[in-house]
Amino acid sequence: MNNAECIKLSFPVNPAYVSSARLTVSSIANRVRFDIDEIEDIKTAVQEACIYIIKRSANVPKSNFEICFTPGDKEMHIEIVAEDNLGNLVNELQEGFNDEMSLMMIKALVDEFAITKPSNDKISIVMHKKHKEVLFSD
Amino acid sequence: MYFLEGKKFIMDLAIEKTYNGNNWQVKLCGEIDIVNSAEFKSQLTNLIEEHVADIHIDCTGLEYIDSTGLGALVGILKNTKSHGKEVRLSFVKPNILKLFRITNLDKVFIIEEGDKDE
Repeated sequence: MNNAECIKLSFPVNPAYVSSARLTVSSIANRVRFDIDEIEDIKTAVQEACIYIIKRSANVPKSNFEICFTPGDKEMHIEIVAEDNLGNLVNELQEGFNDEMSLMMIKALVDEFAITKPSNDKISIVMHKKHKEVLFSD
Repeated sequence: MYFLEGKKFIMDLAIEKTYNGNNWQVKLCGEIDIVNSAEFKSQLTNLIEEHVADIHIDCTGLEYIDSTGLGALVGILKNTKSHGKEVRLSFVKPNILKLFRITNLDKVFIIEEGDKDE
């Protein structure tokens, strides 16, 4: 996906705007010609990633999180980055940190998924979805 | 929250609740998400206080549900079961049924066959 265009949006850490993120990704996924089921998967994965981020960032006053959509040829890359003040992610995941249902849904709906901490005060969720036909031809 | 033609609306969700003498019939129209899931849970949890009865939820008009909505349904189910009653879901759309299957909640809820889209 070198030289791919990136659509970057910033949302307040406020549940009221999660549906806006969902509708935006739906429109972009439609441009990449995902089918209706795939678009539904991507919408739900973005919704759940936003929920996860909002729960983790809830105590950071007046913060925003950024979503970067990178549409490619028959694939889409999505990265969500936010402030994070809940400490060591790796330990929390190992201890069965909450939001298991969100993570379970994201894992099932996209082809690649990772949560990382690019720095002590940031959290990043990366998701990648390919067209079904690309997956079957791999 | 607002009212229209006797139905109680919360943000992006209409809930119609009637008690037929045997059980609660609940019709949902709209979306259950992080914005309204707490209010949805509160409204349906309160039903059992009014009449201890099974709750039948008609999901014909339910377009979308997220993990917080599923969590709210689990809370409603726990509360209803603690009174010895059941929650039944019907006419669940395929996109929503898929989420129940992913989270294994299809094994927890009674989901009646019958999808109006099929």
